[in-house]
This record gives sequence, C-alpha cells and structure tokens, in this order.
Amino acid sequence: MVTRALTKRFGKRLAVDGLDLRIPAGSISGFVGPNGAGKTTTIRMLLGLIRPTDGTGTVLGHPLGHSRAYLPRVGALIEGPTFYPALSGRENLMVLARLGGLRPNRVDAVLERVGLHGRGLDPFRTYSLGMRQRLGIAAALLPGPELLVLDEPTNGLDPYGIAEIRAMLRSFADDGMTVFVSSHLLAEIQQVCEHLVVIEAGRLLFQGGVDELLAARAPELIVRTENPGDARYLLALVKGTGRRARLIGHYESTTLEIVADCSWAGDLNRLAMANGITLVHLAERRSTLEEAFFEITRTGGRAKSGPGGSSSDPAGFGRKAGSWAAKGRRP
Amino acid sequence: MIWRSFVSEWVKMRRRRLWYGTYGAITGVVMLTTIVTIAGALRHPGAHGALTLVQLAHASGLSQGLTQSGVLLGAVSFSVAAFQFGGEFSHGTLRNLLVRQPRRSVLMAGKCLAVLTFLIGAVVLATVFGICAAFVMAHLRSIPTSAWTSGAGMSDLGNLLGDLVIATCGFAVIGMIAGVLFRSSVIAIAAGLAVLLPFETILTDAVPGTGRWLPAQLLEAIAQGGSASAPFAAAVITVAAYLAGAVAIAMLVFVRRDVTA
Repeated sequence: MVTRALTKRFGKRLAVDGLDLRIPAGSISGFVGPNGAGKTTTIRMLLGLIRPTDGTGTVLGHPLGHSRAYLPRVGALIEGPTFYPALSGRENLMVLARLGGLRPNRVDAVLERVGLHGRGLDPFRTYSLGMRQRLGIAAALLPGPELLVLDEPTNGLDPYGIAEIRAMLRSFADDGMTVFVSSHLLAEIQQVCEHLVVIEAGRLLFQGGVDELLAARAPELIVRTENPGDARYLLALVKGTGRRARLIGHYESTTLEIVADCSWAGDLNRLAMANGITLVHLAERRSTLEEAFFEITRTGGRAKSGPGGSSSDPAGFGRKAGSWAAKGRRP
Repeated sequence: MIWRSFVSEWVKMRRRRLWYGTYGAITGVVMLTTIVTIAGALRHPGAHGALTLVQLAHASGLSQGLTQSGVLLGAVSFSVAAFQFGGEFSHGTLRNLLVRQPRRSVLMAGKCLAVLTFLIGAVVLATVFGICAAFVMAHLRSIPTSAWTSGAGMSDLGNLLGDLVIATCGFAVIGMIAGVLFRSSVIAIAAGLAVLLPFETILTDAVPGTGRWLPAQLLEAIAQGGSASAPFAAAVITVAAYLAGAVAIAMLVFVRRDVTA
C-alpha cells in the first residue's frame, strides 16, 4: 500500500496533509496518532469511501480511484463494528457475503476463526463489546483478504479481549496477510507491529520499523544507590564524565537516569565503587513506544521513511545535547 | 452484480419484526379502510356523494374500500423505504456494504429492487385480506356480491391492484430518495411524511389546482385510478418524470458523496 501526497480537505479543514505512506506487504503495520490526526480519514480514502482532494496511491497494485479492483481482496473494520442490531451475527455476515458474492460457508469459517461460532445465531444487539469487535474482524476476514485494514480493533476491550485480538493479528500475519491496524493502545502496537506510521494533524511524523524508532531514542541506564546522599554525589561524578544524567523523583531520591548504553554499565559500576558508593540496582532501561510517541508528537518529529525512504535524522526526533526534547518542528 | 445487492438486502429484510410490522401495518390499513367504507355505506342515496349499498353491489364495489387506502399505504411504504436506506447511514453500516460492493449505483439499484419487491408483496397480501374483509362485510350488510366475482369485477380488481402497486412503488422511491439525501431514517421519515401528507394537503386546499403537480397528491390519484384534477395517465407521466429526476439526483449524490458515517 503506497500513497503519495495524499490529501483530504473538508471545507477549510485539512484532515490529511500530503501523506506519503509505504506499507510493506506481509507485515503488521501500526497506524498511530492522536485523536483527530486523520487516521480514519486516511483509511476511508484507502477503502474508496472518501475521495482524496489531492494525491495518488496504490493498494495491492491498483490505483486508489479504482477501489473496485482491489477491494475484493481487502478486509476492513472501520471505526468500530457496526452491524444491524436485530440481525444475528451470522445474518449480518451473510448480508456482506451475499453482497460480495462469497460462498455462504465462508460465514461459518470466519465465525469459527474469531471464536464466535457458538453465538452466531444470537442477535448482534446482545453481543458484548468484545464479541462485537470479533464480529467486525470476522466481517473483515470474509473475502479471505490479502490486506486487512483494522481501525481501532481493540477499542473498549478488557485486557483479555486485547490479548485475544493481539493473538488474532499475529495469526493473520502468519497466514501471509498484510495487516494495517490503527490503535491508541501503543503498548499493543509495540507488541504486535513490525512497522509503524505516526501521523499528527494529518501529517506524517514517522514511518519505519518499530525497533528502528525505539532504537533511535538515546539508551538509558537506571541506577539506584544504597544511600540518598550517594545519588547526588554519583550524579556529579557522572556529569563530570560528560554524560547527561538526572535524579529521578524527589530531592532525597536514590535513583538516577543516565543517558548511556549498557556498555558503559561496567565503567559506571567501577566509578561508583571507586568513590565508595554502593549500587543496589543497575539496569538498562528500554524505551517504550508510548514515550517515543509522546516525544515525536510533541516535537512534531521529522518524517522518516523506513524501507526505501530517506531521512537525515534516523531517529526522526533526535535529542539535543542537554535537552530532553527536540525543539524544532518539521521543516 | 445487482442480483448480489438484491439478495443481500433480502437477507436483511427477512427479519420477522420487519415482516410483522410492515405486512401487518399494510394489511391492517387495507382491511380497516375496506371495513369502514362498507360499514359506512348508506342504504339510500344521501348527501356529499357518500357510497350506497347499491353502488357497492356493482362490479367495482369490491375495490371501493381498497381504493381509499392509497395514501395510508403510501405512508407506510415511504417510511419502510426511508428506514431501509437512511438506516444504513444512521447505523454506520453503509461503509461495510461499500467495502464489499464499491459500485455504489449497483448497490443502490439492488437495494431499491429488494425494497420494492418487499412492498409489492405486502400490497398483494393486503389486497387478499382486504377482499376477504369486503366479503365478510358484504355478508353482514347483505350486499349481493355476484357482480364482484364477474369478469368485470375481477378486471376492476386487477386494475386497482396495479394502481396500488404503482402508487406504493412511487411512495417507496420517494422514501429511498429521502433516506439517501437526509442520511438519517428518523429525519427522512419525519420530514418526508410532514411534506407529503399535511403540507401537500393544506397546500392543495389553499391553492386550487396545485394537486395535479404535487407528488403525494398525484400518487393518491394514481391509487384511485385517476381523479378529476389529475387524470390517471397525466398523473403517471408527471410522477414518472419527477421520480426519474429525483432518482438521478439521489444516485449522483450517493455515488459522489464521501461516506463519513
């Protein structure tokens, strides 16, 4: 799935602003951004529900304007599961199966796949939120898609439901589908997705591998000293080596955060020991996607392409020396 | 392609509550108007051109009650059609349908055909029940029915059924157009019924001659086989022209408008 300068304007409001997407085939790609960032509008344009104001793109090798050529190979759950409340889950899927010219036995197959076979004859209105989401995914699976587009599939789910959806997404990817999933649950995206697209105010902030994004953040060591006074002393020692560090928490805190990778941990330990400081904890701290997301959206990031793309800043939001956040907006 | 859309819509319309509601309402309307018409017939000619038992004994007597049900049938048909179309926007189900059938005109045509066949079935069933009610009422009021079952009576009944079907389809198409344009079943039904029934009636009464130009008045005239102000052929042609234009506009809007619901 590729777009070039994809733009959508609703009156004076620019919902999507020159988006250049490149979603690799066979991957699970996350699509994240704050509310109103333009995620759903982008998805609707990809599915032919909304006409782009400008820009081009291709889905499964066909141009965006010819959605009838690629939609038979696409499954989609858009902005939550919406079905006819009075019809059963099975009947709701049958409406879509008949419309798409699909065999009726596909309905039973996808109900089985999402674990709803036992409740397929119950009215949709009696379904729990988790069951509704699963029915939405079942509807998306009906055509046996090559590309699965899921908009907030975990919205409102409890941790068990989220875990179920996560397992499903992995199984879809194992089956060779390309999965494009938007979500607000960044921890889930981090666990499931290999590729990531971040947008804000309709503009691309980052796209590339999730690991690439996380690795781009400066690594940190978390150190805890036995005595509170030692922490402040160690802070001064670390700063003396030219590294950035800070005390976490209150004045009497024993915990330090140091910008350094784990290869410096041994030196740090020796430095502490040489100065009579006992460390009770020394560990590398891995960045979370949530932290990366907040930073990239706060700073405006810098558009970064993964495969085939280019960027002068591999992080997309590199830190400035002595500061915990980049200041510049995207040029 | 249209067939798929047609069959898909029928999966939706097979639900029991819709059948009971629509078929019950339409049958009830036809039976009620038949019973009231025959029960209210005078034994001797009276004022205001009221029907008499002698008139009801003629070949056209069987269809007299059915004739009166045109507007009410239209109101039900309009509401069902508006609900079926507007509801897709209200429920947000339209996006699901369009992912499986991106050809919007095909989707609309198939849905339209399905709704029309559903309503035609309702009118036919209601007519059967209306005929039964008419015979029961004729027995109660001692009206001879031999003319009703004659060739002329059957022909009259056939014509009436055709007229009712045309009128019902006309109201249904207006309902679909309202559903598409308003994108909400509630607003479409409320606004549509308000315009088609009270507004048009008041306008017709207030401004003589407008009845032959207003769609609901014309469809009512068609259901009655034509009226003094709107002869049948003229009414059919005018309504057909209106509907052709309105369908073209609705189709254009449906095909081109962004689906944000």
